[in-house]
Amino acid sequence: MNTGIQGSGSSGECKGGFLMKPSIWKWSTRTVVTIGIGAALYGATSWIGIPIAPDTQLRPAIALLAIFGALFGPVVGFIAGFIGHVINDFIQSGTVWWGWALGSGITAAFMGLIYLSKDFNPKDGVIKKKHLISFIIYGVVGIFVSLAFSGLFDIYAMGEPNNKIVIQVISAGLVNLAVFLILGVPAVWAYAKRNRNNANLTVER
Amino acid sequence: MSKSSSLYVDGDSFFHRMDGAVKLVLLLVWTAVTFLFLDLRIFVVLLVAGISMLLVARIPIKRMKFLFWMLTLFTLMNSIFILLITPRFGSTLTGSNTPLIPLGYDTINVETLFYVLTLSLKYLTLCPITLLFIFTTHPSRFAASLNKLGVPYKMAYAVSIAFRYIPDLSQEFRHILNAMQMRGLGISRGDGNLKQRMRNLSLVVVPLLQSSLQHIESVSDAMDLRGFGTKPKRTWYMGTRAMRSDKIVVLLCVLLLTVGIVLKLQVVQGFWYPL
Repeated sequence: MNTGIQGSGSSGECKGGFLMKPSIWKWSTRTVVTIGIGAALYGATSWIGIPIAPDTQLRPAIALLAIFGALFGPVVGFIAGFIGHVINDFIQSGTVWWGWALGSGITAAFMGLIYLSKDFNPKDGVIKKKHLISFIIYGVVGIFVSLAFSGLFDIYAMGEPNNKIVIQVISAGLVNLAVFLILGVPAVWAYAKRNRNNANLTVER
Repeated sequence: MSKSSSLYVDGDSFFHRMDGAVKLVLLLVWTAVTFLFLDLRIFVVLLVAGISMLLVARIPIKRMKFLFWMLTLFTLMNSIFILLITPRFGSTLTGSNTPLIPLGYDTINVETLFYVLTLSLKYLTLCPITLLFIFTTHPSRFAASLNKLGVPYKMAYAVSIAFRYIPDLSQEFRHILNAMQMRGLGISRGDGNLKQRMRNLSLVVVPLLQSSLQHIESVSDAMDLRGFGTKPKRTWYMGTRAMRSDKIVVLLCVLLLTVGIVLKLQVVQGFWYPL
């Protein structure tokens, strides 16, 4: 009995409901739990950081945003990123940086756009090179859009000096990019590959 | 890192009894009003008001110390960087230039020092109200009050789950880190150069993800079995009923916001610089 997909090559076929992904707007119980656990995961790992520029840290947690976005779509990614960041600020920093919290959400939403491409399905081991390329493009765009947003927010709401914000935004952008490329992309790839192996198992009768 | 996600401290002050939704409104209005200004006088008034509210709530200072120092440290670092990167930024706001401290490549002027002081107070103004919110609001009650504010209950429940699972997931993360460390794949400074440490960290991501996905499966199955999401509305075990004092506080919030907007439009537009 063939239970799924042979490999990355033959993944275009869609057999019944097996490969169907739920719509990003449907709020099932699983969506609710995913957002909650994703936010908790982001909040629980955000404390690890290596300071690199004025009040800017290298946060490996960005990689988790990428993974949750890719596995569950932009809406789950956005909300989980935002809630996770707000909770982490509550626990860690004494005040909520709303601009940066929304920024986390925006990053995850962009990274989650890959979920919308029809034949991308890491849960069943389907990931191709073109998916990886568009995932990287979405991620890069998302990182810079969100940081531009957070920077402008700081300039207009907080009244921070432009030059300092530019330095912060650029360094944070480069660092997030590095984390995304070094941790996030390989993790999604590894996750899909692992599931592909599972899908190759056949039942002996 | 703090051990628990719930910083809530039990108590019976005015703010403990206040409805969670009302406290959230207070926090948001306070933040919005602070965002509007860049004026030392207003921040001093808000800061004094915030601190007296904190005193009324009688939260043990020991519990709040960590967060307070985190923010102070942040503000100090931020100020130093502003002074180093843009030593004459204040002049763009005031139009005057009074050199004070020579830096070699530039000179820090009085305007920028005053600007940095104002900005630091702006950040500190946000601190008491945030502390008040997180230390007097029970996470479960908070979810219930989010729902009352009009946030869909599924979203409120997601927030509640997030608070609930942070301690569990941090624990799990630690376990995985320790397990990796035992195999010589640690992430602390002694475990090799930055590249090696990053690679070791990447090995943690997949097991952590896998266990979170298992959590998702079991929690959503448990919730489905209990019929979560079958009805369009939901009642809350931890829900509270709004009292008269809550309504008064909401009115005060509206008043604060109005006064803030009027002040911004009529009296204090930009940066206040008395010297």
